[in-house]
Amino acid sequence: MLGSAVLNSRQHIGLQRVSALAETVRSSVGPNKKYKFIQDDTSGESVLVCSCFRIIESLEPTCAVGQLVLETVQAHHKVYRSGSGCLLLLAGAWSRAALDCLHRGISVTNIISFMSEGMDICLDVCKESTVLFEDLAVTGRRTAAPRGVEKTFTEAPQGSRHMQRATKSDDMTPNMSVRRKTKLSRHFCETTLHLDEPDVPGVSHAAEMLSHGCEGSMKLVVEAFQLQSKKNQELRNPMFDISKVMTCVLPGLPEGRACVLHGCVVLLSHEQVSVAHQIKERRLKVAFINGDLTHTYRHLGFKKPPGVQPVSERSVPSGSSKEDEWLEKVVEVFLSLEVNLILTTGLACESLIQTCCRHRILLVERVNSPALRLIANSSGALPVTYPTQLSEHCVGTGVQIFIWTDLSSYGRKPAAAVNISTGGGVGLVTAVITSCVDGKLQALEDQFWACAHRLHHALKDRVLLPGAGATEMLCIHHLQKAAERHSQADADRAQETKTGTAAGLHRGHVLQLMADGLIDYITTVTVNAGRFSAVEARTVVSRQLQNFHRDQIMAGKFSQLALEAEGDASADKTPAARIYDNLSVKQEAWRKALDLVFLVLQTDAEVITGTGRKGEDNLMLL
Amino acid sequence: MSRLVKKSPSVCTDLPLDNADICNKLRLMRELLGSCYGPTGRLKQIHNNIGGRVVTTSSSSVLLPAIASSEPFVNLIRTSILHHVRRFGDCGLFAAIFCLSLVEQAKQSGLRAKAVIRSNEHLASLCTDYLKQGGCGCKVKLDLCSGRDLVALARSVVSSKPACVLTEPECVHISRLAVRAFLLTVPCDTPGSVSLGQTVRVSVEGLPVTHSAVVPGLLVDTAEDVYLSQPCSLPHPLVLFSASLAGDLSELGDGLIEVHPRVDSDSQVLSQLLELGNQVVRDGVKVFVCQKVIHPVLQLYLTSHGVTVVERLGVTLMEPLIQLTGAQPVATLHSAVQPTAYGQVGGLSVRRFGSKTMLHLQACGESAICTIILCHRNETMLNELKVTCQKAEHVLRLALREPSALRGGGCTETHLAAYVRRQSKSEVPALGRGCSQTEYLRAAEAFCRSLESVARSLEHDGGTSTIDPTHAHRWTRPSDVATERRGVGAGCCGCGSLDGRETWTSAEFPPADLLRDASVQPGVLDSFTAKLNALQVAVETANLALDVRYVIRDVN
Repeated sequence: MLGSAVLNSRQHIGLQRVSALAETVRSSVGPNKKYKFIQDDTSGESVLVCSCFRIIESLEPTCAVGQLVLETVQAHHKVYRSGSGCLLLLAGAWSRAALDCLHRGISVTNIISFMSEGMDICLDVCKESTVLFEDLAVTGRRTAAPRGVEKTFTEAPQGSRHMQRATKSDDMTPNMSVRRKTKLSRHFCETTLHLDEPDVPGVSHAAEMLSHGCEGSMKLVVEAFQLQSKKNQELRNPMFDISKVMTCVLPGLPEGRACVLHGCVVLLSHEQVSVAHQIKERRLKVAFINGDLTHTYRHLGFKKPPGVQPVSERSVPSGSSKEDEWLEKVVEVFLSLEVNLILTTGLACESLIQTCCRHRILLVERVNSPALRLIANSSGALPVTYPTQLSEHCVGTGVQIFIWTDLSSYGRKPAAAVNISTGGGVGLVTAVITSCVDGKLQALEDQFWACAHRLHHALKDRVLLPGAGATEMLCIHHLQKAAERHSQADADRAQETKTGTAAGLHRGHVLQLMADGLIDYITTVTVNAGRFSAVEARTVVSRQLQNFHRDQIMAGKFSQLALEAEGDASADKTPAARIYDNLSVKQEAWRKALDLVFLVLQTDAEVITGTGRKGEDNLMLL
Repeated sequence: MSRLVKKSPSVCTDLPLDNADICNKLRLMRELLGSCYGPTGRLKQIHNNIGGRVVTTSSSSVLLPAIASSEPFVNLIRTSILHHVRRFGDCGLFAAIFCLSLVEQAKQSGLRAKAVIRSNEHLASLCTDYLKQGGCGCKVKLDLCSGRDLVALARSVVSSKPACVLTEPECVHISRLAVRAFLLTVPCDTPGSVSLGQTVRVSVEGLPVTHSAVVPGLLVDTAEDVYLSQPCSLPHPLVLFSASLAGDLSELGDGLIEVHPRVDSDSQVLSQLLELGNQVVRDGVKVFVCQKVIHPVLQLYLTSHGVTVVERLGVTLMEPLIQLTGAQPVATLHSAVQPTAYGQVGGLSVRRFGSKTMLHLQACGESAICTIILCHRNETMLNELKVTCQKAEHVLRLALREPSALRGGGCTETHLAAYVRRQSKSEVPALGRGCSQTEYLRAAEAFCRSLESVARSLEHDGGTSTIDPTHAHRWTRPSDVATERRGVGAGCCGCGSLDGRETWTSAEFPPADLLRDASVQPGVLDSFTAKLNALQVAVETANLALDVRYVIRDVN
């Protein structure tokens, strides 16, 4: 049986759903995030969430559109780890824009083509206003780093590349550059050099501008980057390999204890700690096992024959002796190879761990498998699946362990966090994330990864976008200009020939609505920053836009006037902190938001298979 | 104790087409499929009632299997269209809409079913004969020597699937890739009968569409830290196993086996495996591939002897790999590998696409196997893109057999309708006792209206469809364009070979010669073979549906 529900009329339910889902994250967009409890009424469980992605993930939307939203956000999060809020909020805003268009009788095909046009304008603006990473690093040397990083507007894209291009092409920029200089002289007068690593120019400075309110996490990320790049230094082209970054979450310690270490960090139990103390800071022989260390374990894909039955005339030896036999054999292998440390990705049986402890062999379970591979590579070892496979050439050397912290005083189950290090040759680093509040750990880990990915993509793209709404402002400006142009052109044509088409008018309208979506986004971010109410934020944004427009018109001639006006406008604001965004993250988030809107907009029916029950009124049965 | 339940009698529906419920269902199905038709078609979200995965699509090959009905009569039509789709890959929605609208029109006309069936048969043969003629006005010869026509053909397929959400440059890129992949599967210089190779599709989520690419040879999923054998002597000998080398006794089946407790079957199988590995290494094999799992001990043994190991190839890649390397898959580990079973690999390298690490196997000489890597921003769109590319490949292959195409964008349908109208007016065939002349004329009218309704289904935004009198092409005027100009308006016709500047004169048929002018190439092309077959399937299915007298259902 199959039912089908018609979604589409002028009130497109799908678009309304996207918009409603987007509303749930409105208060979490931007750098100032509030924690939220999400409670499951049926089970009574609750979860503390902070980021937009975790909100949507924990809400588990079940409707078809909700699933599509979740899928899109997950795909984005997997690659970028930030920008999910931007994606969702814009998807919501643009859904409303599409709904508005439908109300005005603009056809779906036209909405799509005009919106794609708008997206092209925005992406072009992004491309135009990029700032070279190197340039930022240079400014980082000369100017003071902004103290309290805060989301307010930067007036215009800063950075030399844009300036150069802009002076050539764009007529508004001359006075902008003057303005920027004024600003720098006023607010960034004290020049301090603060660079921990002179050999990686300005990365820490640039990272600070990318932290988006997570200074603590970004500090960890920069530490990780510096640890990683100490060895294989490429001055020209520094990269941040996040596949070699691990996190270890440690509850019960104050947040200030968070740090970054070479190698990986594992938690050990009491009896293992005593072994660790005995073998610490020595160069160890180490074996790597991919899989569980139990006698029943078989590699993935091995099927136990179902019908094998042991038959014998004499009494059958019991199963335990078989285990003992296995245990004996394994320990013998370990001893003959003289390994002191065994890392396994799976679990190990309790008796083996204890036997190993007795022989002063440290057996560490549940090691992250990429970490295991990296350590194995650097120590010249070959990971194997079964301990019986181990031979001399599978064993690595040179691994050291350090007791990072003894937790036994906290009376918790893991007794110590131990750092397994190979000396940094492979660039494997682990960030230890600590917090006294269990529920916060997830959020802190998310923040760390968001920052890590931002730095990674910044180094990969080699360019950044002016953040804090500046790029969006520029996009809005261009969209509105294009919208005006189309409406105007159309009006002219209509006057001349009396055969004007509505297409131009519609195009202008759609572009204006897209701009409104972006205005909604920056207004929300401003409101969330906590300094303005919704109404005030809107006023600030529209005043900024007006300034923008006026500057454009009077450029060159009235630069003095514009300067004064700017001075007045900025008097009531704090100095604009310099914040930058990732180019690729922003572009992809926007594009994905629009993809989502397009997919939902074009969907007119839901086909539900397997509806056996009768009485679902609004369904048409096939 | 057994209980007897009385068998309930079968349910018989008399004249299913007179049943209001069935008619409603047919109408619903037509609306559902009709709304998906064409480049501006609407999408459908398919999911089950317990919140399963949501699929967003507008293509018949995904939609038709999903819309199983409780009514066998509706399913009859659905399955016959589905068979067409499976066989030809394209024009499924055309066939479905045409068939359903034929049934509906026949019902509305009130003619006797027999008469309609007779006429439909005749009209269908009239159409197919016309389409096969050399001078047919809606047929375009494809020039296989130039890529332009092929790209246009592929592009019509790619752009007709809005769920792919492609921008214009992305659409062109994918169409070019489809053509390139197709060309790679055509073997060069093979005497005798030519068999086409295969395209393997690999999808990568999260990368931009423009990162999609075509590579000759095969890309195989592999572990991150795959060991590459040194390129000392090309080509590399390769061995391919279809049997599981996991070291278990899975080949034995379900029976009960009694073994002595001291017998360690695992280690015996393992020693067998190692012996096999030993032989393979002695024979100088450099690449060891298994469809299923390979025992880790064997893997370690092989890599330590400089052999590249690939496990879990999967059944779908077996056939392409056999074609690529010429290897014979080995199905057992209990006997030595025959020397003839070894294949050869010309090149071996590791390639990374997004999060995927893949081993690139290239053929030794020339081979007709290639891999197309499809990238898209999210999974929904990627899945649709995969289906679309498959469809494009199918259409291109059909074009090789019959190097012509039909004008797309509804122009073929309107043109055919005009032709049929004209023919039926000029000569009325003798269809025997079953069908009178008036009945034939009215049936022909219904047939033409059905054809035109298919063309009209391309418009989803409330625009008006018109047909010009000279060439009988389809034109649309969007609803939201307040044009006051008279005539068909600006723009061009559905297939893109005519623009609105000319003045229409005659209603002559066959239409003006302009269409056969080589300079005017239509922008939208449909597969000739697929559409011809779709037309026949639609008419035959409609005839069968009209012919059904009773539906008898066993409800036990």
